[in-house]
Amino acid sequence: MLLTALIAAPALTALLCLVLQRLARPLATAGALLTLLLAGATLLQFDPALGDFQLVVRRPWIPGIGVDWYLGVDGLSLLFLPATAFLFLMALLAAPRDLSPSARHFCAALLLLEAATLGIFCALDTLLFFVFWELTLLPLYFLIGLWGMPGSGLNGRVAATRYFLVMLVGGVPLLFAFLVLGFDAGLQFDLPSLLAANPARETQILVLLLFVVGFGVKVPLVPLHTWLTSLALGGPALITAVVVGLKLGAYGFLRFAIPLAPQAAQELHWLLAGLGTLAVLYGAVAATAQSNLRGVIAYGSVSHVGLALLGLASFSVAGVQAVVLLLLGFAFATGGSFLLLDGLKRRVGSTDLSALSGIRQRMPRLAGFFLLFGLAGMGMPGTIGFPAEFLIVVSALQAHSGAALAALFGMVVAAGAFLGPYRSAFFGPLRAGPVAEADDLTRREFAVAVLLTVPVLLFGLWPQAVFDIVRAAAEVWVARLS
Amino acid sequence: MNLAFDALLEAALILTPLVAVLVALPLAAALLIGLRLLAGVQGDASEGMTAALARGSAFAALLLAGLLAVGACADNATASLRLGTWLAAGDFAVAFSFATDARSLLFAALIAFVAWATLIFSAKYLHREAGFHRFFFAMCLFLAGMLLIVLAGNAVLAFVGWELCGIASWLLIGFSDERPVATGNALFVFLANRIGDAGFLMAIGLAYWWVGSVEWGMMGGEQPLEAVKARMLALGFVIAALAKSAQLPFTPWIARALEGPTPSSSVFYGALMVHAGVFLLLRIEPLLLQVPDMLAGIAIAGLATAVYGWLCGRVQSDVKSALAYATVTQVGLMFLACGLGWFTLVACYAALHALWRGYQFLMAPSYLLLAPRPAPLPPALTGNVTLYTAVLQGFWLDRLARGLLLRPTLSLGADIRQFDDRVVDRALGMPDESAPARTLVGSGFFGRLLVRISESLQLLEDRLVLESGGGGMARVLRRVGDAARVLEALLEEPRYLMLMVMATFVVIL
Repeated sequence: MLLTALIAAPALTALLCLVLQRLARPLATAGALLTLLLAGATLLQFDPALGDFQLVVRRPWIPGIGVDWYLGVDGLSLLFLPATAFLFLMALLAAPRDLSPSARHFCAALLLLEAATLGIFCALDTLLFFVFWELTLLPLYFLIGLWGMPGSGLNGRVAATRYFLVMLVGGVPLLFAFLVLGFDAGLQFDLPSLLAANPARETQILVLLLFVVGFGVKVPLVPLHTWLTSLALGGPALITAVVVGLKLGAYGFLRFAIPLAPQAAQELHWLLAGLGTLAVLYGAVAATAQSNLRGVIAYGSVSHVGLALLGLASFSVAGVQAVVLLLLGFAFATGGSFLLLDGLKRRVGSTDLSALSGIRQRMPRLAGFFLLFGLAGMGMPGTIGFPAEFLIVVSALQAHSGAALAALFGMVVAAGAFLGPYRSAFFGPLRAGPVAEADDLTRREFAVAVLLTVPVLLFGLWPQAVFDIVRAAAEVWVARLS
Repeated sequence: MNLAFDALLEAALILTPLVAVLVALPLAAALLIGLRLLAGVQGDASEGMTAALARGSAFAALLLAGLLAVGACADNATASLRLGTWLAAGDFAVAFSFATDARSLLFAALIAFVAWATLIFSAKYLHREAGFHRFFFAMCLFLAGMLLIVLAGNAVLAFVGWELCGIASWLLIGFSDERPVATGNALFVFLANRIGDAGFLMAIGLAYWWVGSVEWGMMGGEQPLEAVKARMLALGFVIAALAKSAQLPFTPWIARALEGPTPSSSVFYGALMVHAGVFLLLRIEPLLLQVPDMLAGIAIAGLATAVYGWLCGRVQSDVKSALAYATVTQVGLMFLACGLGWFTLVACYAALHALWRGYQFLMAPSYLLLAPRPAPLPPALTGNVTLYTAVLQGFWLDRLARGLLLRPTLSLGADIRQFDDRVVDRALGMPDESAPARTLVGSGFFGRLLVRISESLQLLEDRLVLESGGGGMARVLRRVGDAARVLEALLEEPRYLMLMVMATFVVIL
């Protein structure tokens, strides 16, 4: 019941926001806070010693084809619930005062997106999962289109249309893969029975390839990644923080793609590792050529999900644990970076590198937090990025030595790709212009940045807290493969 | 007297677990200073507190390290100490283990002492400087990192310290961040060091898989590794050591690292950080002894660096650069001695050199007054124009690194961006609102594909069928030839050549 309440809380608040328009903003914040509390409650109810699904809710939903309202979490998905709720709350808190054209619609869409995202992490029925998966598109389309960057070039409407179309196309292979699996298992669509079923090798390979395309669009894998740049440049940075911060595609690989086609995944391990390595290098190198800070962070995230895929392809317990930590870490770090860039954009009018110089002198706090989040992305010890990236590299070194070495090289480039643009935007002489007149973080933004910093540093120093929760489920995950 | 000494010894032995506190002290100071920075401290009045925090942590670390070192010297039984587990994932575990042998603790005391002295100096030197607090923050971070390098009981904790030093050095070289030259050099130094870090990470991973542990004590321990494995493992650590200690081929970064305030240059590139590589070699001594060819390589690199540093040092026109090259020369000699297997000698050498060079660097501004005229160049140099130019240019190593690594990566980035814009975007389709009205409009790959097919059928009818024999095919062939030539020209570019070599490696491995 707890999980149903967790999804219902933001969804109902979204409806309330639409009705009570004057109170939309405080109501939305309260709703997001309530969701965070509920997510915290799941954390307390969860027993990390068990590798199975827990807190299970199962009610018939469409009995005709055997689709259930079937929710549950295990160690792999549990931590994404509080992380999602936390990130959405931060996004709401960091949202600008002026949410024209309509504050209530913004709040409602954002909360609906939160409900759908939480549903993705809880769904244990593949078709229910698919419904949540596609449900995220609707609020996102409006959020990006209506609150995106106005003006020429990559504006919000173009980004929204593109995102919508690309994701819609990406959904087709997913649905097809779920249907193939479901029919193969005798018209069963719930995850536990699909995991127990053992489809033929050819079916598995087909399904894995469909998953690679379907989730690969969302991850995004090279060459399906350009929607991310247009979203990062054209979409509202607040939404980008949530979309890019929560790596749903990588979660799809972790939860569905590999466990549902275990034999194929092991045969095609080179494909997974190769796609991961390609993304690591491609993202890092492409980030060096970006002329906009948001582009830099976007390509950096391409690089990071590549690393996650490489870690999964090692098929080891440590690798899986590290991947979960990596994904959580980037929810905080990448999300935080985009939230800060949103604030910067509001102050200075642009995040284009050519327009920025000497920000550090004028806004030392913003510069400090942005640096910290960037360092977390580079895997600096002391931040959450280090244990994750380090363990992924160690796991990958055994499974795919060459790919791991290439990823190490990618990490060198990634460091340059972040610190180079950081240097030109935040350091340098302070010229007359918008930067020289801007103020540092407001009290509210400061609080958001501090709140996001806490997990980044805490789990950097104490990663064991995460590893312990993930461990049992990761062992089950690996055992299923062999 | 004797009784008091015994009591002291006993206390030191009981207090050994405090070695963790030793590292935590400067870290806590850094945290406090960081919080003060966030709170927005400014002005003269706040300087005292910041300086006192940093100085106090260094002094406490010095006292503690000294006490523990006395204990360790008298009783060398507990060479390492395990305080718990930091992280355990899968079969992989990293312990909170510390090296508590006499050498490590003596080095820790030395580091704390040099840092303490330099911090006292800096409080005056940087008085009323804009980034006063920032400076002490980075220095505390550095001190913690450096202590962790020498006191860590395993490679992972040492790597944590290694990176802390790296980021502190980046912060301090770019200290006057309004000057693009300073921040550019900071970036260069950081990236050069990052290559070494990649080697370090690789070595840690390999050590885990091949040795089964990342503890220093186990490295090359019980049963000797196979030659190939030992060589690969040692190679990773040696690359890290070469990069951190500015040995060839990484030497050029040190010339760019001197943009920071003099006291920080003193501890980073004179006294302490530059010796971290030497210390790493001391740590993996048992491993190195298994691979004589690696030792020979270290000796050659050290010797070459010593000659290089000596030559380049002759032609420097400012005192800090001259001192930096002198440092590199001495550290090169230490590498040479390591290569020859004289590890104990190297330990003493490094300690003495650290003290002396730290003092010299702090004196650097005064040398301008003390020595009004630089020493004349040796005639062997001035006589040989080619050599002289080469030395002045640092044997073009800097330019080589830019040409072979930096520029290809950047142009590859630009290429990729073009590729994304021109190829991927077009293939995936982009809703274009300004598209001219046509009878057939297709967006995206498939839409465009349909349009293209219908158009080319039209073309085929128009050209090939109607103009058969009249040059239609010939034109196509010529165009294919042109495209092939462009492709070939692109492949000759170093970046693509490099890319192909790398791809081959990845596939083979």
